[in-house]
Formats: sequence, C-alpha cells, structure tokens
Amino acid sequence: MIDLIDEILATLRHNKLRTALTGFAVSWGIFLLIVLLSVSRGLINKMEDMFSSRDNEIISITGGWAHKPYKGLTEDRQIKLKDRDMGILASQNASNIAEVSAEIASDSAVIMTSKDYLTDGYKGVYPAAQATNGLTMSDGRFINHNDINSSRRVIVINKESAKTLFGDKKAVGEQVKVNDLSFTVVGVYDHEWTRGSFIPFTTARGMSGGSDVVRRIHVKTKGLTSLEDGKATEKAFRSTLGRVHTFDPEDESALWLWNRFNDYLTTSSAMNAIVFAVWIIGILTMLSGIVGVSNIMFVSVRERTHEIGVRRAIGAKPFSILKQIILESVAITTLFGYVGIVMGVVVAQLIGMAFGEGGVLKDPTVDIAIAVQVTVVLIIAGALAGLFPAMKSLKIKPVEALRDE
Amino acid sequence: MIISLKDINKSYPGVVPLHVLKDINLTIDKGELVSIMGASGSGKSTLLNILGILDNYDSGEYYLDGVLIKNLSENKAADLRNYMIGFVFQSFNLINYKNALENVALPLFYRGVSRKKRNMLAMEQLERMGMADRATHLPSELSGGQKQRVAIARSLITKPSIILADEPTGALDSKTSKEVMQVFRDLNEDGMTIVIVTHDPGVGEQTNRIIRIVDGRIVS
Repeated sequence: MIDLIDEILATLRHNKLRTALTGFAVSWGIFLLIVLLSVSRGLINKMEDMFSSRDNEIISITGGWAHKPYKGLTEDRQIKLKDRDMGILASQNASNIAEVSAEIASDSAVIMTSKDYLTDGYKGVYPAAQATNGLTMSDGRFINHNDINSSRRVIVINKESAKTLFGDKKAVGEQVKVNDLSFTVVGVYDHEWTRGSFIPFTTARGMSGGSDVVRRIHVKTKGLTSLEDGKATEKAFRSTLGRVHTFDPEDESALWLWNRFNDYLTTSSAMNAIVFAVWIIGILTMLSGIVGVSNIMFVSVRERTHEIGVRRAIGAKPFSILKQIILESVAITTLFGYVGIVMGVVVAQLIGMAFGEGGVLKDPTVDIAIAVQVTVVLIIAGALAGLFPAMKSLKIKPVEALRDE
Repeated sequence: MIISLKDINKSYPGVVPLHVLKDINLTIDKGELVSIMGASGSGKSTLLNILGILDNYDSGEYYLDGVLIKNLSENKAADLRNYMIGFVFQSFNLINYKNALENVALPLFYRGVSRKKRNMLAMEQLERMGMADRATHLPSELSGGQKQRVAIARSLITKPSIILADEPTGALDSKTSKEVMQVFRDLNEDGMTIVIVTHDPGVGEQTNRIIRIVDGRIVS
C-alpha cells in the first residue's frame, strides 16, 4: 500500500502541470455532477415536502362556466355546485370515492377581537380540510365531526392571525366575533402560505342566508394507481355533474377540476427525468476528465517504459504492472474526484443558504447514497481510464531493461 | 554445472532473417567468474538475454541450475528471474524516486515479502556492500560507483543461483571500475557464480575464464 502511494506520488510529480490540468478536469466534472444532483435533490425535497404535507388523493371540483349549448340550453351559463352534489357524486361513483367534503366561503366576513380585526373572511369546512390543505396544528385541534353535527360556533385560525387578534396571549379558548356572532377559538394552525380561518361547514351553512351553493367539493379518491385511472375518474365526475346541472360532459370549462393525484404522478415522473438528465450531463462532463486521466497514464507508461522493463527483469509479473497502472489511475481519479465532491457539497450548501427557507429548494445536499454512487462511478471511471495504458504496459518486454536510457 | 547451453540458435525475423546465435554450446560451473566478450553485433547481448530469461531462443536447450528454460509463460519466466538470477546493468537501472534501501528491497516486493522483512534483508545487503550509511539516499544523490554497489546489493538480495552483469563498468571511470570488479571478485570468492558481459579487455582479464563470441559463434 505504501509502495503504491509512493508510485502515485512519483507519477504526479513527473508531470505536475499536466496532472493539475487533468485533475482539474476530473474535479470539475464531479463538481458539476454534485452541484446538479444537489440542486435537483433540493427541488425534489421541496416537491415532496409540498406533496407529503397534504393529501395527494384529492380531486377538487369548482363550478365554472358552460361554454357549449347543451340540450336546448344556451352557452355561457354559470355552473354552481350545490350541497346535494356531494351525495350524488358519492352514490354514483362509489367505487372510486372514499369521502366527499365541501367548503363554503365568505370572503368579506370580518373576524374581530377587542384588540384587532381580520377582513379575509372564513371558510366553512369538513374535518377532511385539514389534510386537504396540509395544515399542521400548532395548538388545540381542527374542526371535528361533533362540531359539524351540532353546528358549533368554533373557529380554527392561522398562527399569524392569532398573533394579530390576540398578540402573545394564548388564542385557544378565547372568543372572536364573526359577523357579530361569538365563536370560540379551538385551534391554531401553521402553514407556509394558507392564512384563512376555518369554521364548521354546517355553521357556515346556517350563516349563508338560505343558499345551498358550495364553493368547492373535495373528493378523496381511492384505488387510483395510474394517470389513466385519474383521468377516468375526472371524466366520471364530469358526466355525473353534467347530468345534474345539464351541461356537456365534454365541456371542459363547465367544471374546474384540480386532480392532485395526477399532479403528483406527473411531477414525480418529471423529477425522475430531471435526476436522470443530471446524471447524463454530469457523467458526460466527467468523461472529458476521464479521457485526460487516460492520457496522462499513457504518458506515464511511455516515460516509464525503461523502469517497467527493469521491474520485469527483476521479477515483476505482468499482472503486478497492470494492477499498479490501474490502481494509479483509480487513485488519481478518486483523489481529484473527491476534491470535486467536497467543492460541490460546499457550493450546494451555499446555494441552499442563498435560497433560504421557503425558497424553491429545500436541503440541496447529496445524501450518503449519492456519495456512494459517485464514488463507485469514480472508481469505475478511473479503472477504465487506466485500462488501455495498462494494456500497453503489458507489451513492454523485460529486455527494455538492457536498453540504454 | 549451473548453466548448460546445447545447440542454441536464435534468429530475428525480417525480410532477411538475421541469424544471431549459431549452435551455441556452453557450460558454466558453479562458482565460476566468467566473462563473455565480443564486439557489438557479435550476438553477446542476445546471449545475455537468453541467459537472463529475458528472451526466447529458437532451438536447442538451456538448463539453468537444472531447470529447462524453454517456452515459459511470462509469469513463470518472471518467477525464475526473480528466484534464480541477479541482474547488474550498465546504467544501474535503479528506480530514481526510490531510495537505496527501497531499490534493494524491490525484488522481494515482487516475491510478496513483508515490507519490514524486506527492508531488514535489504539493509544486510547494503552493509555487505559498505553502503549502509547511504540507505536513505536517492540514486541521484549517489556517485556512479555507489549506484552500482546498490544495484549489486539488489541483485544479491534474492540469493540467486547466478549473477548476470551487462557491462557493469561501462558507465564508470577506471578507478571505480576497479573497485566494482573487486566487489565481483570478492563475491566470487564467497562462492557466487558470476557472468559478466563486456567488450572491455581490462574487465575480461580480471575474470577466470573468457568466452569470446564472434558473429554468433563461440570462438574460445
């Protein structure tokens, strides 16, 4: 082992500039690979973060505008979803539906305390809304079934809203006024961008002045495994609601559908494609470095023809020479490769810091699995780079030892 | 009888094949100090290559210490060189980035001897050559005579059956040449068989038998 290190240092010393340039090419290739992998990892982390905190099996339906004349009805009719649509959807598509919930919203309601007030309204929701929106409770609880059944006047507010309304005081258990009705705060949630206040669906229904229009219906699907399943379910929903509200199921604008399940699948496969592309780019960049290593090993073998001859004359077997050349190549590649890895990780960290919390990247770092993969790639690349020079070294005959330098 | 050559022929292929060794018959006994002399192109280098298992021959038989040396694989030849032959070269052929001790120990590295043991044995050989105080010097820090002593130490470390020296004084001045020849004579006194290839009559005179080769034939 010590002998091998000696040999390698000697090879490096022989051609300092060439070694430095070649090493730079390898380092640069690995550096780019690591930075690209880190950034794509950061993107994926961010995506997964978004997807994992909320329910990915939800299809949300919002009423739109029917633009096609249908069954004697004219074009440009607004489609308003009603309470009864929930039951119809659930009964007609039972095999693909786990749960149906809905929300009604009042965008103008004022929520007040003695300290301050909010004017961004409220949403009447079912307990499922917590998962649908991906909310984390930082205190208290979310709306539950008892709240729905007894139309309780309870409210769940955002952490920031709690600060506005109550300051540093604990919000849970306190009273707020919503449109002059008293509500008890039962929970405070935390979320990156959702800021609304939530009250039980039935309570909100009681405050909507006899209307039965819902803002949005959320369907939690089940048994979907592919994009095709997702599409078919969308189509089934359109035809069910098309019959109820009399619009053409082919009329895309009649309903706005947000299929999170298909979004998730599409994004996942896009992410996989990005990672794949990054590996291709990185490895191609590295290739130029590898060719350089191969080149320097050729030079080394050529310059040391006499020395190799001497070694052969005093008893070195061809394989021991082959092994030495390949190991030298692997050592050079891995050594400079690691310089690239270290620099890549540092730069990735800097990029992560530059984007900060809440940016488009989350933890842009390479994990141990990628470090191992890159190391394996380095060793294989180094061995390949050394292979051809080593084959050449095998052709050197021990008689070379007798030639004068 | 340590070396026995019977009707050895060797030619190099080409448009006009070059017949360099013609029916060489030669025996060298254990403990001899022999020189092979000849002009350049006489075939003495080819003979040395064959004796040193560095090259093949076309016909005949070569026995080295009772072993038939013929059509060997590269690995077998490497082993036999390592175990039976100690080489001393005109241009020393020390590895320039290894110090004297490491150079002497190198043949044992290819035999798989541990670093500690081979360094110990190498030190013994350097002491024998009076070079112990130069053990950590690089070849570039040694004089020609010192380098050749290190090279001789390297050839001795494997306890070979025979030492083959190719113009061992060719790169040395006359005073140093004498010293190196004295080293060979001393080794021979201790019972070592030594074959020196040279074109220098002064070197030949100091050996006990001179084999002259002219145009691929032994003449005396």
